[in-house]
Amino acid sequence: MARKRIETASATDLGNVRQYNEDSIAIDADLGVVALADGMGGHRAGEVASAMAAEIVLTGLRHRLPEFRSSTSQHSRLLAVEESINQANKAIWDAAQASATRQGMGTTLAMSVFCNGKVVLGHVGDSRIYRLRNGALRLLTRDDSLLRDQVDIGLITAAEVGDSHNRNLVTQALGVAATVPAHVREDDAVPGDLFLLCSDGLNDMVDDSDIELILNSLAANLPLAAQTLVQTAKDNGGYDNISVIVARVRKPRAVGRWLARVFGRLRAAKAA
Amino acid sequence: MAKLVLSSGGTVVFQCFVDHERLAVGRDPTNQIVIDDQAVSREHAVILPVGNDHILEDLASANGTLVNGARVVRRILQHGDVIELGSFHLRYLNPKAATEMDLDRTMLITGLPDVRAELRIDDESSPLRRTRVSRTNFPKGHVHVTAGRREGSIIWLNHVIATFGKPGQQLAAITRRPHGYFLTHVVGRRYPRVNGQPLGSEPRMLRPGDVVQVADETFKFALD
Repeated sequence: MARKRIETASATDLGNVRQYNEDSIAIDADLGVVALADGMGGHRAGEVASAMAAEIVLTGLRHRLPEFRSSTSQHSRLLAVEESINQANKAIWDAAQASATRQGMGTTLAMSVFCNGKVVLGHVGDSRIYRLRNGALRLLTRDDSLLRDQVDIGLITAAEVGDSHNRNLVTQALGVAATVPAHVREDDAVPGDLFLLCSDGLNDMVDDSDIELILNSLAANLPLAAQTLVQTAKDNGGYDNISVIVARVRKPRAVGRWLARVFGRLRAAKAA
Repeated sequence: MAKLVLSSGGTVVFQCFVDHERLAVGRDPTNQIVIDDQAVSREHAVILPVGNDHILEDLASANGTLVNGARVVRRILQHGDVIELGSFHLRYLNPKAATEMDLDRTMLITGLPDVRAELRIDDESSPLRRTRVSRTNFPKGHVHVTAGRREGSIIWLNHVIATFGKPGQQLAAITRRPHGYFLTHVVGRRYPRVNGQPLGSEPRMLRPGDVVQVADETFKFALD
């Protein structure tokens, strides 16, 4: 029986103001893939775009998985994720061109692919990926957003962010052009690491310090952690749709640990 | 679209819409907003459009720029702001931003040109403060621990969540919500007890005086 590579939980909510939920989530814990998308566009086209993004990257990785798993080269792992994002982009772009009501639809995307002690992180737009390791929360992505740009070039200070009305302006999205510049990179995934993927409806409403506190407090119950994050965003106002995925990296199989121990001993003996 | 209204002694002398163009303010006639007042510098300030915002910047003017009575070097203008320039008042009106209508709806915009080239854009980034300020009022409460390793201590419930019990064995959480504090079972075979009765799987709102037992901890809840 296949053992899940990751333990996951998720929650998505309309929020307190919006009429429709334009966020989408896709999870395959056996495969070790999680994806979250926050759609935009009138006539409910945002829902279509985000659902397409989440599903297509997941399907794409199912097909590319054999090469992905067997690959020892980081380059080909990154390429597999990039290709799945490009495929989703192309499909949304084509669908948008084919329908007048879907013109201009697009979506953000945040995705993580877990594999043998590594995680490939992909993102476009302002959906985020955080990691909680040893109790400390760290943001692993840089928003494609006007506000982020403004702060980074010193046009405004981080303290002025709350005064700005630019929080909704993303500088990149999936499905708005024939090609998309996605951010894809690899990082270590240590057993016990907790990854959080979220739409801006969470991090616009809840401080990073509160996100960290909630994840630390409820790490033993991931579904409750996901629900509590969403609940807190709603309690703070809930002006946007809110979606979260939490994924914990599991310990390798017992046989894997046994092998590691044996090889560790051999290596130690060799060195002696 | 936002609007600027210039007035002197309560009389409107000039008004214009501001959208995507840069507006210079000063005594010199080449400015877009000309203010005929000796207290105003020739090139006094500038209003820059960035996305949905208009950013006011003082150009090192001799007498400075005041917004709502406070001196500023730079300010992201807010609906209703009054910019004081000598004896003139320049009022910024942006009802759309004030109602925040649609401002949470994600939209695509061209990024700032310099940034992409200069930064490694797939890097980790330093955290930014959340952009929405909560207008919610939260209750204030605390618990008095009467048994367990924290016996005798008062724990102030001034965060979004606090946990009780023994990690790995039995854990419960108290979450702070706008309408009160809620006790929730987190993990463990046994559920916490409130006034001797076991808690269900649903969160329960705590009432002042409630006595809670979680693993070897016992505490009494109170509102401040």
